[in-house]
Amino acid sequence: MTAFWRRNSSGLITLLLLTPALVSFFGLFFYPMVLTLILSFRPEGEILGWTLENYGRFLSNPDGRWVIVLTFILALGSTALSILLSVPLALILREKVRGHRFYRLIVLVPLVIPGLIGALGLLLFWGTRGWFNLFLTQFVPFVERPFPVDYTLHGLIMFYVWLYFPYTCVTTLSSLESLDRSIEEAGAVSGATRWQVLRHIVLPLITPAILAGSVLTFMAAFGAFSVPLIAGGNYRPLSVEIYKEISIFIPARWSAASAIAVVMGVLQVIFLSLYMRYVRRAGGAGGSR
Amino acid sequence: MRLARAYIRGLWDGRMILGYTLLLSLTLFIVAPFLMIALRSVGKGWFYRLWLPPQLTLDWYRWAVEVGNIPEVMKNTLIIGIIATAISTVIGIFAGWAFGRRQMPGKEVAMAIVLLPRMIPPITYALGVAKIFYTLELVDTYLGVALAHVSVCAPYAILVLSATFEGLDERVLEAAGVCGANTIKRFFYVVLPLIMPGILASMIFTFTHSYNEFTLTLLTYGPHTVTLPVRTYLAVGDGYWEITSAMAVIMVVPSLVILALIQRRAEPEKLVGGFKGV
Repeated sequence: MTAFWRRNSSGLITLLLLTPALVSFFGLFFYPMVLTLILSFRPEGEILGWTLENYGRFLSNPDGRWVIVLTFILALGSTALSILLSVPLALILREKVRGHRFYRLIVLVPLVIPGLIGALGLLLFWGTRGWFNLFLTQFVPFVERPFPVDYTLHGLIMFYVWLYFPYTCVTTLSSLESLDRSIEEAGAVSGATRWQVLRHIVLPLITPAILAGSVLTFMAAFGAFSVPLIAGGNYRPLSVEIYKEISIFIPARWSAASAIAVVMGVLQVIFLSLYMRYVRRAGGAGGSR
Repeated sequence: MRLARAYIRGLWDGRMILGYTLLLSLTLFIVAPFLMIALRSVGKGWFYRLWLPPQLTLDWYRWAVEVGNIPEVMKNTLIIGIIATAISTVIGIFAGWAFGRRQMPGKEVAMAIVLLPRMIPPITYALGVAKIFYTLELVDTYLGVALAHVSVCAPYAILVLSATFEGLDERVLEAAGVCGANTIKRFFYVVLPLIMPGILASMIFTFTHSYNEFTLTLLTYGPHTVTLPVRTYLAVGDGYWEITSAMAVIMVVPSLVILALIQRRAEPEKLVGGFKGV
């Protein structure tokens, strides 16, 4: 009887400890999500009734489909570029070159900066009046006109990379540093060139970490809001499209916005689960090699 | 053939130069935008085809303070940040203790559920949060905006604190018990000093997160609760780049100071989870 009581009271204490977290989860996340889901099926501005019109209007519209494609182009493009930037960088920083502490700090800077400020600075630097185009027109021969970067697709992808590559870079670096050097030495002793060691030993071992870090970059890039809001110009991904529905139209089109939000959430969850499954398989293959 | 080999060897010897070039361009890539903001915020009459502003001025800061109402905005940001940090830390301590120290069935699932808000783009639930807050009349109150921030900050506090509590060594507590410390003494003299760094780190991260939070603020703010990110965004919309730059400098300096202060203590992996300036 006492044991039973003790077990139950212990469970009760655990539950009590979890209560604030559960309240905040249900009140600030779960209920808002359910409400968004319900709103997305309501006719615009009505309290009752069910309709699929909000989804139909968004998904049947070529613009709507382009918004989805654009969001994926931005997220996947910046994720791929982040990996390409992070791996060489992590390989260099691992060698503890002079001033590596400073460079490590530099890598972290975009993480602590609000996306808004980053986008502002990037617009100023890469814009037609910024230093980049000044350099191009004054010092590079045969370049007369500024090369447009701001408010273009490639520019936006680059801004995303600036903001979100640290996720990939830091994860890659930390996995590289926990790597056992003796494995590489064994490879070198067995007659492998440095390139072969890198290609067949180091890269397969850190692939899981690279992919795990790139998931973070992908998530951040997929949900990015402030950057495309001020630096996107005519390129509006899903997040900005949602905000547009409730900020530009009067009265605000909550149902239309909710429908896009549901589409975005569902796409994110589907894509993440596919990606995770792929990462796990790649990780398993890398580990067994 | 020999030439090719010599060339490759030369490349190999030059790899440090290559590496430094990469590092320098990276530094430039990351730092240049801030330089531009800083220069823009003090420059006057800076037009096309000039590398540096011809005249320096502090007018834009004066404008930012007077027209942009920065002191008021700063006060709002700090109050909201403190409320959000307090609530998130309380949630984080309780839930972190449960996750880190106690047995329970389905721990993994519960943890995954609590961390779910970090997997979904904030704008999707910010919409629902805003809708609820409109009906509860929480929009444009300090508590309302802070609560909206809690939805992103709390999962992070839980993550950090459960790791901290899990790392607490049981044997130390037992040793204290053997030496005759009762529960209360044990808590204040042994447990608290051990977990304080973790709690402090979690508080700093949560505060920075709230300080930078833009998406949820934009959907729940009002004339009385304008925070720094929203104020900067509104200034961008007005098109005054110089004043916006001045505001950006005012806003960014505390973040950079915090980064410089904590980067020695905190591992970068924690930071990765910590800040998400979406």
